[in-house]
Amino acid sequence: MRTVLKKILTAMRGGVNELGEAVVDGQGNRILEQELRDAEQELKQAKQELAALMAESASLARQIRVEQDSASKREQDASKALAAGQEELAREVAERIVGHERRAGELTQTRELLQQRISGLKERVQRAEKQLADYRRELQVVKTNERVLRTTAQIDTNINSNQSSLSTAKETLERIRDRQAREEDRQIASASLEKELTGADLDEKLKAAGIDSEQDAVNDVLARLNGNQAQ
Amino acid sequence: MDTQSLTLALGDATHAGRTFDVMPVAGDEPVLQVTVSGAEETPVYITVTDTQILCLAYLFDTQELNPERLHELHENMLRISVPMPLSALGKTGDHYVVYGALSPTSGTAEIMQELVTLAENAIDLLQTFEDYLA
Repeated sequence: MRTVLKKILTAMRGGVNELGEAVVDGQGNRILEQELRDAEQELKQAKQELAALMAESASLARQIRVEQDSASKREQDASKALAAGQEELAREVAERIVGHERRAGELTQTRELLQQRISGLKERVQRAEKQLADYRRELQVVKTNERVLRTTAQIDTNINSNQSSLSTAKETLERIRDRQAREEDRQIASASLEKELTGADLDEKLKAAGIDSEQDAVNDVLARLNGNQAQ
Repeated sequence: MDTQSLTLALGDATHAGRTFDVMPVAGDEPVLQVTVSGAEETPVYITVTDTQILCLAYLFDTQELNPERLHELHENMLRISVPMPLSALGKTGDHYVVYGALSPTSGTAEIMQELVTLAENAIDLLQTFEDYLA
């Protein structure tokens, strides 16, 4: 990942990509994709192998149990034979027991070796999975980078041919300020229109001229009340 | 979500009182130019890849900046990038951009939210960094 990021930065700083050329060229991309496929393949194989080994180990465990069970069953037989004074028979059974125990021992040894291979393989699978995730992330960075470069190059050429050029920040700021001023004007206009519609503007003018109908009404009422009292 | 379905979805949608004017940018890559009403000066460009929906708006070019204050500007851009909602600051070629990346599984509402935020952020950023222009 580090190498990919460094490659991208070096290429960018060198201005190689002004025209949207791929940073890690198509060849590099194909190599990454091939590595990804290889890692996927290795992972698949390792998992298959692991499954086979685990099945074998389970089968060995079963065989070991059978031998052990047989041995303990024969032990009971041998005890019975001894109790019945059948020395000869007991010896024969004991020989069988030895055979079972030996096979159980051999099988256990084989299984231990198998278990070692299994844990080694599990490690390999984990490593492959991690590597696969790394490759995928790398490829994603490379592809996104290329896409961004191609996209911006496309925007540049298109906007360049349609409108003389991508507008400069100063022009854009000018247009933003114009719009913001227009919006402000509109707000002021609509506020004064609202006053006109509700008659609020006329009331304000009357009040400014010292004519306040509300105040007059209050004065009238007071005058009436005063008149009533005087009578 | 691809650019075609985006064009259809945004064409007659409104979000937070905004409408969207969508125009495909001719070329090999599927790129849309989206103008958000009330923020027409900073169009947002969208491109869709396997892993993300990338939206970006242009701020200014290197040659438009006062070279003596470049370091200070970069410092400020990095700092402001973190708290800015749904957008980050970056550079592609000579262009400084503000951008946001969405999951390809995002719905129209999320994309519209991103577009409105990005266009408004672009205006705010331009006005904020105006002093750094040459």
